[in-house]
Amino acid sequence: MMHNILTNIIFLPLLMAVILGVIRAPLKVLKWGAFFSSVLTLFLVLWVAYNFDPHAGMQFIQHSPWIKSSGFSYFIGIDFLSLTMLLLITLLMPPLYIYMMQEERKGYWYNMMLLQTGVTGAVLSLDLVLFYLFWETMLLPIFIMIGKYGSGMRQYNAMKIILMTILGSMTMLFSIMYLGYMHFETTGIWSFALQDLTTIVFDAKTSIWLAAGFLLAFAIKIPLVGFHTWMAPAYGSAPTPAVVIMSSIMAKLGIYGIWRFGFGLFETTLIYYAPTIIVLALIGLLYYAIRAIKEENLRRMFAYSSGSHLSLIALGLFLTNIYAWSGSLYFIGTHALASAGIFIMIGLIYKRFKTVRISDLGGIASKAPIFAFFFAFFALSIAGLPGTGGFVAEILIIIGAFKANIWIGVFTATTMLSAMIYIFWMLQRTLFGQANNNTEFSDLNFREIIMLLPLVILLLLTGIAPSLFTPMFEPQLSVFLQDALHAIGGVK
Amino acid sequence: MLSLIVVLPFLSALLLAIVYLSNTKANRYAFYTIVGVGTPVIMTLLSLIVGYQLLNGSDTIHNTLLQWIDIGDFNISIAFMADRLSVVMISFITFIGTLIHIYAAGYMKEDEAYGKFFAYFNLFMGSMLLLVLADNPIMMFVGWELVGLSSYLLIGFYHHESANITAANKAFILNRVGDFGFIMALALLFVNVGGGGFTFDAIAANISTIDHEMLSLIGILLFVGAMGKSAQIPLYVWLPDAMAGPTPVSALIHAATMVTAGVYMVARYSFLYVEIPDVGIFIASIGAASALFAAIIASYQSDIKKILAYSTMSQLGYMFIAVGLGAYSSGIFHVFTHAFFKALLFMGAGAVIIALHHEQNIFKMGGLKKHLKLVYITMFIATLAISGIPPFAGFFSKDAILVAAFASEHYVIWSVGTVTAMLTAFYMFRMLFTVFHSEQKDEHALQPLPNSMTRPLVILAFGAATAGFLGVNEAYGGSSAINTFLALPDMKLHLSHATEYMIGGLNVILALLGMGLAYKLFAKDAQEAQENTLFKRFAINKFYIDEVYEFFIVKPLLGMSDLIAKVIDPKIFDGFINLNVWAYLRSAGLFTKLQNGKVRYYALYILVGVSAMSYYMLFKLGVM
Repeated sequence: MMHNILTNIIFLPLLMAVILGVIRAPLKVLKWGAFFSSVLTLFLVLWVAYNFDPHAGMQFIQHSPWIKSSGFSYFIGIDFLSLTMLLLITLLMPPLYIYMMQEERKGYWYNMMLLQTGVTGAVLSLDLVLFYLFWETMLLPIFIMIGKYGSGMRQYNAMKIILMTILGSMTMLFSIMYLGYMHFETTGIWSFALQDLTTIVFDAKTSIWLAAGFLLAFAIKIPLVGFHTWMAPAYGSAPTPAVVIMSSIMAKLGIYGIWRFGFGLFETTLIYYAPTIIVLALIGLLYYAIRAIKEENLRRMFAYSSGSHLSLIALGLFLTNIYAWSGSLYFIGTHALASAGIFIMIGLIYKRFKTVRISDLGGIASKAPIFAFFFAFFALSIAGLPGTGGFVAEILIIIGAFKANIWIGVFTATTMLSAMIYIFWMLQRTLFGQANNNTEFSDLNFREIIMLLPLVILLLLTGIAPSLFTPMFEPQLSVFLQDALHAIGGVK
Repeated sequence: MLSLIVVLPFLSALLLAIVYLSNTKANRYAFYTIVGVGTPVIMTLLSLIVGYQLLNGSDTIHNTLLQWIDIGDFNISIAFMADRLSVVMISFITFIGTLIHIYAAGYMKEDEAYGKFFAYFNLFMGSMLLLVLADNPIMMFVGWELVGLSSYLLIGFYHHESANITAANKAFILNRVGDFGFIMALALLFVNVGGGGFTFDAIAANISTIDHEMLSLIGILLFVGAMGKSAQIPLYVWLPDAMAGPTPVSALIHAATMVTAGVYMVARYSFLYVEIPDVGIFIASIGAASALFAAIIASYQSDIKKILAYSTMSQLGYMFIAVGLGAYSSGIFHVFTHAFFKALLFMGAGAVIIALHHEQNIFKMGGLKKHLKLVYITMFIATLAISGIPPFAGFFSKDAILVAAFASEHYVIWSVGTVTAMLTAFYMFRMLFTVFHSEQKDEHALQPLPNSMTRPLVILAFGAATAGFLGVNEAYGGSSAINTFLALPDMKLHLSHATEYMIGGLNVILALLGMGLAYKLFAKDAQEAQENTLFKRFAINKFYIDEVYEFFIVKPLLGMSDLIAKVIDPKIFDGFINLNVWAYLRSAGLFTKLQNGKVRYYALYILVGVSAMSYYMLFKLGVM
């Protein structure tokens, strides 16, 4: 089992879904089966993390040809970047299943298992065609979950996210195919393996177009400003587990994609795009934050919040220094934890009140102090409160920004202010003051506390002792950065 | 030892929070009091030990708890340092903090969220000590932010009232505006000298490698942080509103913690500010302006806590005059003496408020000197102290600041400070006489005060009377002991004793004048200020600064949010996307028309197709 451990990690949830489907498992078995698969994967991933060598590059590699004539291969492996993503995915699944325990609709559970396989496969793929397959696979369950199990204008919103995302996927697919063809042209063999494609030398113009194909897909996924109008409707309509996956994992996959394939294949060309993306990211940082201030729907508010912070992460990526890069990577992790927390809390509000409109809430702190404590904790982690991991990430990105340029630094530092305004005003109207809603509001029960506690503990640990985590990625991140800088320097 | 002082209150806050949340309805008065009040008592003892070690040993004590982060040159530890400056700070923070905790045990006794209150209170103490004892700027910033958070929680303590949360939000947001400056300063410092390590010691050693312009920028940005935390123009508007919290909170914010952080920060970075005297003058000017401005507003307020709030802002102005002009020790000296009399004033005011069943308007009080004798006497001492009447504490510290201003030949700042001294005596005695002397308005059935609320007043009164003797000038027969002890890079004074007597005498005469005027106007028949002149209208309404903020910052921000929600997102971004969708549908319509099922049209298409192909082939064959 440990021999093909990554394959097991990817396909275990799918396998479980298939088995449960074939035996037509009753609801209770289905629930526990899904939960069990997520816990088992978590242990496998922890085993990988324990045996992971932070000083080596790709590890646990599994490479076998798949369709030889076309050069497709089953090629997976893990490095610091995919490990971060993988840990997040598998850490978040068990709490989400606990959250879903009262969910009666079977399809919902199958979708979640398929989703886990999709996102896990995407972060572990080292073959571009394989990556593309998983990238599309994860879209399907999201489409169904919004369109079938969502709320509001769910079908319109599901269609919107699909169409906009697929536009990006198409351009990316074109770039992938062209890269494979280029490899055939130069070597006479078809290949889509990342390590083969990096050896191709292209002229600047081709490179710019090919990079654009990838960047569009990732920019929509993140989303950068201008590519974002699918975001708030999708978050607003989607059921909570889907929102958590979208915000904590899928949006980060956009960043991951730029890192892995953007910097992997087109370092020099990315520098050509850097000014544009830095400006878009800085605009996004403030644009989404300002938009969030007057948003009435909590889910949509934190959709914008997520957009704002992902812009910050994207910004850090294009500043190409060790502080900004470490900050961005760290932020991927801490923001995923915090936003998972806040979206689960919003889901709990919905379960109790059947509404997430701020004007229908208020006075929760008097009715449910423990709930208020957790809610405020996650909200403040999103605002980057010291003592939580977000603070570490933000301070690293700010330092990186000042290292790059004083003006970029000044705009980046506005992150200190931007999130705070909507968050504190929101807290005032949800937790405090008088209740606008006479429905009974029960405090968190034991099961809910158990589900949230790991997130709280991890956020505190990442905030108080980041030195526990940074050695996992810092060595290879520096190497990666040096390579990128070297390539860029070579062009100059 | 040092780590313990900082970590202990955090642990105690955590314990209190968990116990409180486990059952919020349970009455655990004894447990909460023992943990909540016991913690600062232990901290006081520990800080005494640290002070003792420092007096009998090396100049600084270092203590590293754990490595926080190590990325590139950014190597930061959770580490603490006690030097003479921080020891002076922690000594009064823990001591006065303890007294306020004891007082609060009486004041908050009936509150149902008593346990939560002490959890927040200990968190506040821990954050402040982290700020003061941090050995590097990043940890100081962490403490700085957590102080902001604790103040948010405490100001909004009565969270059923939305207005209180508004006040809490205002405090936090304005503080964060300051922090925005602070963090930029830190990032710039790191980018410039971080390569050589990022502790205060290391930065001080490398400070000369930064060019003057950059250093000035850093100095100004740091001071922006101080403006927020220490409520100076233009970031002061949160301070009066912060009175929404329970009175012990006001005492803690105004006396022992929080607002003094800005002054401490400038003193902590004195190695930086001595290089940039121009920025220092800017700081002193902001301080002077804040001192005068707050004193004018205080003279027209009716709410006892608001009067004290503005007086804090005004006194902080003095402290910034001192640290701005390079008289760091005098600034810290005034922080020290101010802590005693301001804590006393707030706790006295709290006692009056409780005795009168939560009445805060001084013009509805009156004649209390017979009924609340102990409160009256102690508050009288505090008022004398803040007004700068010798030999009470405020005289020596304020005198040291004005002497420094005069000696550095900034006569405008000096005269503003002197005028403010008169105003201080006026508005403070106005309050005192109105509350305790003027005619009794109605027969109060006074609520009795517990011992835990009155005993601390006596101790503080003793401090307010005598704390000044620690820093008596040479001119008055002392040796400025506190300056010698602090050993900060103070500017050297060159003034004859005669001039110093002149300055001190002038202050005392003006203070007595202010006091006399207050007696004449308010001791017999106190009247609330009326809005009968334009100036009074402005002063009573605090010069409409809140409204200015509302109009120029809050409204535009909300408007922008609306603009994005209603125009930019749906019309421009989605408009562009929907335009494409529309074009796609239209083109589909076009193709539908072509495919109309009529044979003659299809024949035409075939004709066109065959012609095009023939044309192409002929062209390729070179026939055409």
